Amino acid sequence: MIKKLEKRTVVIVGGGLTAGLVSRQLTAQGIDVLVLERGGDHSNGAEAKLPSQRDELRWDVRQGLVQKWNVQTYTLRHSRSDTSLPVRWMEAFLPGEGMGGAANHWNGHTWRWAEYDPTLRTHYTNRYGAKAIPANMPLQDWGVTYKEMEPYHDLFEKLFGISGKAGNINGKKQAGGNPFEAPRRGEYPQKPLEITEAGTVFRQTAEKMGYHPFPTPAANSSGVYTNPDGQKLGQCQYCGHCERFICEAQAKASPEVLLYPMLKERKGFEIRLNSHVLGVNYDAQTKRVTGVRYLDLRSGQEYEQPADVVVLGAFTMTNTKLLLLDKIGTPYDPVTGKGVVGKNFCYQTTSAVNVFMKDHWTNPFLSTGSTGTVIDDFNNDNFDHTGLGFLGGGMISANMFSGRPIVARRLPPGTPRWGTKWKQANVDWYAHSFGMSIQGSCYPNTENFLDLDPVYKDAYGQPLVRMTFDWRENETKMSAYVTKKMEDIAKAMGADIVGPAVPRKSPFDIRAYQTTHITGGTPMGTDPAHSVVSPRLQHWDAQNLFVVGASVFQHNSGYNPTGPLAALAVRLGDDLVRYVQRPRML
Amino acid sequence: MSDDNTTQPPPRRHFLRQVITVAGTASLSSPLAVGAGAGAAIAATAASAADAPAAAATPAASPGLIGYESFSADEAAFVETMVNIMCPADQFTPNGVDCGLAIFIDRQLSGAYGKGAGRYMSGPWLQGKPQLGLQLPLTPEQFFKAGVEAANRQAIKKFGKAFDQLAPADADAFLAAIADGKVVDEDTPLGSWFNELMYPLFTQACYADPLYGGNNNKVFWKMLGYPGLPATHTLDMVNYRGKPFPGAKDPKSILDFS
Repeated sequence: MIKKLEKRTVVIVGGGLTAGLVSRQLTAQGIDVLVLERGGDHSNGAEAKLPSQRDELRWDVRQGLVQKWNVQTYTLRHSRSDTSLPVRWMEAFLPGEGMGGAANHWNGHTWRWAEYDPTLRTHYTNRYGAKAIPANMPLQDWGVTYKEMEPYHDLFEKLFGISGKAGNINGKKQAGGNPFEAPRRGEYPQKPLEITEAGTVFRQTAEKMGYHPFPTPAANSSGVYTNPDGQKLGQCQYCGHCERFICEAQAKASPEVLLYPMLKERKGFEIRLNSHVLGVNYDAQTKRVTGVRYLDLRSGQEYEQPADVVVLGAFTMTNTKLLLLDKIGTPYDPVTGKGVVGKNFCYQTTSAVNVFMKDHWTNPFLSTGSTGTVIDDFNNDNFDHTGLGFLGGGMISANMFSGRPIVARRLPPGTPRWGTKWKQANVDWYAHSFGMSIQGSCYPNTENFLDLDPVYKDAYGQPLVRMTFDWRENETKMSAYVTKKMEDIAKAMGADIVGPAVPRKSPFDIRAYQTTHITGGTPMGTDPAHSVVSPRLQHWDAQNLFVVGASVFQHNSGYNPTGPLAALAVRLGDDLVRYVQRPRML
Repeated sequence: MSDDNTTQPPPRRHFLRQVITVAGTASLSSPLAVGAGAGAAIAATAASAADAPAAAATPAASPGLIGYESFSADEAAFVETMVNIMCPADQFTPNGVDCGLAIFIDRQLSGAYGKGAGRYMSGPWLQGKPQLGLQLPLTPEQFFKAGVEAANRQAIKKFGKAFDQLAPADADAFLAAIADGKVVDEDTPLGSWFNELMYPLFTQACYADPLYGGNNNKVFWKMLGYPGLPATHTLDMVNYRGKPFPGAKDPKSILDFS
């Protein structure tokens, strides 16, 4: 028997980064907000305290902070002619669970995207002509410009105390920063993190080759920091336990450090933990949502929670799932190209190479999740694509993110997999090697999309989200090109050994971690024929329903998604203040 | 690699002999003396002093965990042989059993991981491309047991004896053949079994915190130069950039803070 609760003004599905930012803006204006989060509060758990926080087996290998695949997973097929199978244990990408979401266990890379990213279709058409974008690549402008988003990037970076070096302040290039950076109003809130030995070697070589290295912008706090809300970050201790871990030193900017403790003190804010949202109540006649249904996991009781406004702020896949389950909007149909929900599903095109230098102590354990030195020269459209046969690109970086010994050991090709020679190679190279990697764009393809699996169900009896996804020709060509550039740099470093630099190839493989940067499914835009939500993130078919997160991206750029999704969330919070005061299409 | 191993084949059921030794010094009614598993773990500890070469970079091993929870006698013999092949006693570490690698694998398989915690286990069960991940309706512990049985079956077919009775060079080559997918069993996918279950368990046994019974005495962390838990490296980042880090010689584990 479903119990009906008292109506709330704004109900947000998912208690992660976007919900925290939206709530910050709303509660500052005294607006009533309820957040429903399926997981618990990690703040005082073993995962957040020493010595148990440093347990690589428990938090990293066994995915202690990650979505439980027995409860909720996804199915995959590489093409429509394949049979989808459930991913029974996912390694490729790792959604979070609990207050703070995946922003608890993130590495901390915080990028603004290229100035042209939100208007990418127009940009490519203007630069390379109307035929440059292939028919099977449904790129769209997002209906927003970087200039409109800049103030929200600025506020988010101040809230999260981002450490970095500006490359472009109001159009003026800055030495040591990224010359391809979109113009910013000022320096980063904090100085960059310390450079690693790997970064030093990479920087020297890249500069010699005429490229433009700079430090990765990081949410790992380079100093002690107090944000505009009076919330504090400790100084990063370079312990190498960021991604897949909660920072016990509160030195990694995260919602459970900077947002939720503050929000809990504010009037009108409530977060209900262990509350799994099962659906959104939608009235197709009036084209409005009336609330959500959720299961209290502690009692097994199902509730109806009425709301004036519903915001979907869950992980990418869940935002799409909820719209499909309750038939809000038209599902994307790859045969006709019509419909939008599940469309423009993208991932991130990565590749890597290992570099071995016996005369350099690289000390991988002296690092953070963001101690990287990067060049942006081959990212996105920062280079001329004329005649290359693909669009997009990737950042190339020398990274030292961790020395965690189960997974972060690099061994030269040909090393035996066990025995004394294996041990010898571990001894020889553990502190004398580093990885270079590419984080590349992934543009939409008409054959990459999300829908509901016809067979497999989650623990609540609801269909799993089905991914139809593979690396298509544009991405494999891009990866081949940029990976070769990375290999050229690696070989110019004077290394003893350079491992194989293998570009990303089909088929998509869920058995190895790549990134958690899954995007699309509920894309934003000005035309309801090509978007699920408006440029203000308002659902075209339900005026009082909003969607926020990387699910609204029309494409994935060669950057981490956190910067733009956070900026969009802050702006949505401001928009909702206006909407609650006077509901209308914004 | 085989030239790095001892050249003598191990005695049949090495650990059973040790049980007898232990039984001689402990009451037969002692729970520690009952069952091969318990005996095996005691053997592991007792054997460390005798088997470890003088050159091993480790002081006397701490007792670690005692007694197998999951392994049958055959499985214990298989895993002990396997970890001693994959981790021979040498200038870097004692042998695999003495490093706690077998007990680590046993505990992982008998615990939440082995029971399939977090793994999506609903049917229907169909086979597909390997890139979609293993599609077996077995828990890791069940898969382990099926694999040991299959590997022994194939060893008997090829050599006329079970894996734990093979000469070290043969055992080493046999593991390599399994890893390369060259040992085909009709019932169990041995290549996946080794590469996706046993090999990850082996590296985890070596490098996980000693809390879990492997990496006994932090021997692999010392070998590698991983400093373990302590990390107030803000100044170290500058002072030891490009230089050897002194803390790497004396790693600290969760056990050291417990």
